[in-house]
Amino acid sequence: MPTVTFLPSFRKTEVAQGSTILEAAQKAGFHMNVVCGGQGKCGKCTVMVRSGETEFDREKFGNFFSRDEAGEGACLSCQTRVMGDVRVLIPEGSLVQEQQILIDTPGVPVELDPAVWKYALSLLPPTLDDPSPDLSRLLWGIEKKGGPKEGAIYAPLEVIRQIPKVLRESGWKITATVALVPGGYRLINVEKGNTTSHCYGAAVDLGTTTVVVYLRSLIDGSIVGIGSNYNRQISCGEDILSRVNYAKRGGLGKLQSLATESINAALTTASNSAGIDRDDIYEVVVAGNTIMTHILMGIDPAYMIEEPYVPVVRRHLTTAARRVGLAVGENSGLFIFPAVSDFIGGDIIADILASGMTETNDISLLIDIGTNFEVVLGNRDWMFACAGAAGPALEGGEVLFGMRANPGAIEQVSLDLDTLEPSYRTIRNQKPKGLCGSGLIDLLAELLRACVIDRTGRINPMISHERIREGRQVPEFVVAWRDETSIGKEIVITENDIKALIMSKASILAACQTLMNQAGIERSAISRIYFSGAFGNYINKDHAIMIGLIPEVPVDRVITMGNGAIAGANIALLNRKKKRILDEIARKIAYIELNADPSFMDEYTGSCFLPHTDLSLFPGVERMLDQCRIRRVSP
Amino acid sequence: MGLTPLSEWSGQIGELVIGATRTDGGTRSHAVTIGGERDLPYIGIPPSGHIPRVAYELTDDPSLWQSAAIRTIGDRAHDPSDWAAFAEKELQPDLIRLYLSSTRRRGFSDLSQIGKTVEAVLQATKLPLIIEGSNDPALDSSVFRKIGEAAEGERVLLGTAESGRYRSAAAAAMAYGHSLIAQSPIDINLAKQLNILLRETGLPHDRIAIDPYTGALGYGFEYSYSVMERIRYSALKGDTDLAMPLISSAADSLTVKEVREAEGGDADQAAVAWEMYSMLPATLAGASIVCVRHPLSIAGLKSAIASLWNGQKSVGV
Repeated sequence: MPTVTFLPSFRKTEVAQGSTILEAAQKAGFHMNVVCGGQGKCGKCTVMVRSGETEFDREKFGNFFSRDEAGEGACLSCQTRVMGDVRVLIPEGSLVQEQQILIDTPGVPVELDPAVWKYALSLLPPTLDDPSPDLSRLLWGIEKKGGPKEGAIYAPLEVIRQIPKVLRESGWKITATVALVPGGYRLINVEKGNTTSHCYGAAVDLGTTTVVVYLRSLIDGSIVGIGSNYNRQISCGEDILSRVNYAKRGGLGKLQSLATESINAALTTASNSAGIDRDDIYEVVVAGNTIMTHILMGIDPAYMIEEPYVPVVRRHLTTAARRVGLAVGENSGLFIFPAVSDFIGGDIIADILASGMTETNDISLLIDIGTNFEVVLGNRDWMFACAGAAGPALEGGEVLFGMRANPGAIEQVSLDLDTLEPSYRTIRNQKPKGLCGSGLIDLLAELLRACVIDRTGRINPMISHERIREGRQVPEFVVAWRDETSIGKEIVITENDIKALIMSKASILAACQTLMNQAGIERSAISRIYFSGAFGNYINKDHAIMIGLIPEVPVDRVITMGNGAIAGANIALLNRKKKRILDEIARKIAYIELNADPSFMDEYTGSCFLPHTDLSLFPGVERMLDQCRIRRVSP
Repeated sequence: MGLTPLSEWSGQIGELVIGATRTDGGTRSHAVTIGGERDLPYIGIPPSGHIPRVAYELTDDPSLWQSAAIRTIGDRAHDPSDWAAFAEKELQPDLIRLYLSSTRRRGFSDLSQIGKTVEAVLQATKLPLIIEGSNDPALDSSVFRKIGEAAEGERVLLGTAESGRYRSAAAAAMAYGHSLIAQSPIDINLAKQLNILLRETGLPHDRIAIDPYTGALGYGFEYSYSVMERIRYSALKGDTDLAMPLISSAADSLTVKEVREAEGGDADQAAVAWEMYSMLPATLAGASIVCVRHPLSIAGLKSAIASLWNGQKSVGV
């Protein structure tokens, strides 16, 4: 079998002749950036073949590379077949990189009332006078300690098998763990000695891109460890559709194990940092989008992406965590947040739970921007939700110098309105490599404020300034000169980038407007706008309003809740009563199918303008822009 | 007996004046005012605002024109000033719309000829003019400046600004005192967006005519009709960014299959019918200027509009 050697690390792997370089790289443990799922469409998995025999259709995929790159042997790893021993360089940009993953959770006060209890018991050994069986002794002990009644606790066979030995070897001093599961109380573990202080639970956000785990003590509710990790399914396709397609091609099993692997890796990080044993994790609560949770449970997601788009389940799911491969205590339970529809998943239910919007009469608007976007409008009595694709622009995709929120990404930009000189901040203060979502939104708002672009995003060609120039195809604005960046070229934003951003923001605003129309409310009736998701946390709220990403409300009504999914999962882990209302929340939500709503297209076209065609919806922004224009005309 | 208006609208369509007479510093025999409506078209006796006007379209490059339109024009088609003089005298449209189609030829560069053509046409006819420039962003600036300059003082309606290329046209309109056609592709939001963009260049609202783009009858006309209606409703409801008069030209009417394939005398009849049946409904949807290319469409259209306006039975159509 041919050997593939990867540079610069010289990591080697053997693959069958005819395998793709991508397969070889994955086998060697590289997390390649594969946005399209290996279909040769995204150009992100570029590698340089240094030597050896390969097959690659340079004509078909040539437009992904510059002449220089082609000269260095650039190929798409997913489309290049290994025909003999080869040496391949993987550029840094082709690997999934460490990302600014959101792990803060809002300090939502929640009463500790978990679904797992540990009881330290000191039992009397049986005698000829008192020959009650081991299990009865144990359960009576629990009852005496204030736990559930003996007859109310179910003891599964695998625990019963351990009881006689544990009781006798421990000198009848043991710790019993009882969990409340849908069937009632269940004895899930019996250990020697007193281990009551070792009682933990895990809250998990299983995202399409990232996995975040919080380990919490179920004794006092404290956070003992946090772990985060890429969702390793990325190597099977970056977006959710390519994952489903991968599952359709017989890859469900692989996706399922990658999902558990990703969670396990995050669990390991968290428990290692906390110095605890993963076997002491007695409950796992997972919030994730509908497709992710289906895949985690090994349920075929194929039919969800076809008309009429129905998920298999719309209620919460529970099972033993080990059954799906999670590396936690043997009989620990797994709780999966319910989903509403294929596009409104448990992560959104978790957002809603964390925001507390269902606990008040005030109307809130909740927006979750991730790989897709979801919008929920409502209060304790009613809720509407919709979901859509905003395109990848807001996450840095389809933008020439767009990138995820990795180190080196420009995350904040402001422009001097007189000189048009930008000042920016990058993640980790590294030399800039590109622009991430929050930086792009800043840039859009600042270019508008400086009258460099008009309301459709076109660069004003009448301004003569060294940063404004005709690019290869369309006009562009130079954000950073070559000597400022770490990529050996200038970082610019082009008119096409701006157009893509406007289309993205328009679909989100149009979704908000459509829900507001459906509910018959004006923006003044909205008392809170919650931003959830990695993207929303770093966003400049004023700028988000200025470009018309969200309806104009007083900026103090906009709350960035960070990762709402993990916050919701934490709440449900710590307080079992909250779990009970989740199905009700899911049932209460009326899902609006945007494609079936005839007004959506109108709203969308109206929103493809900065901030919106109906300027009366953004009176504050208008006043500000008017001043900018006056300033521009009379400097 | 007429209809009494049923609704009380809060908005009014702005007025737009095309053409300047001697007293206004121009050489036109009269000016045409359009717009000013406070209600839906043809409602009330007399209806509010100004009567819809008919513009006759001609070109400086007949090779790019539909043959149905120039069949009866003869050699005059090779000289836009002759053509315009003939039109004013024999066809009597309310306005003449001159297309400087030559600028749309590949490799066009003869800017001085543009100036000469505009001056010659201004000499040849005293009717108010609509003048269409290039549709190439690279040429716009020089072409619109040339037209603007050559027609300075005549208050022409310049065409056409689109959202992707509006700055040069707006600049020429403002510099030389003309008005501007703002064209958008059959969408009320896009129409409004362009008007806002133009306002922000400094062009006043009373110098904009909205062209929502008109498809030929049977080839998308109903979309245009509905967009024109919606624009009018929004304007009457008080949206000042849409309260400009509408101009409509179903220029494709003469290239539709039914007209192209008609033979002999039928060909003229089909061409006229197609233009009439597009442009009369356009006035019902709210158009203030309707444009035709077939010489025989003008009289019938004017008469039909007049009879709707006066609430009388039509004569001679």
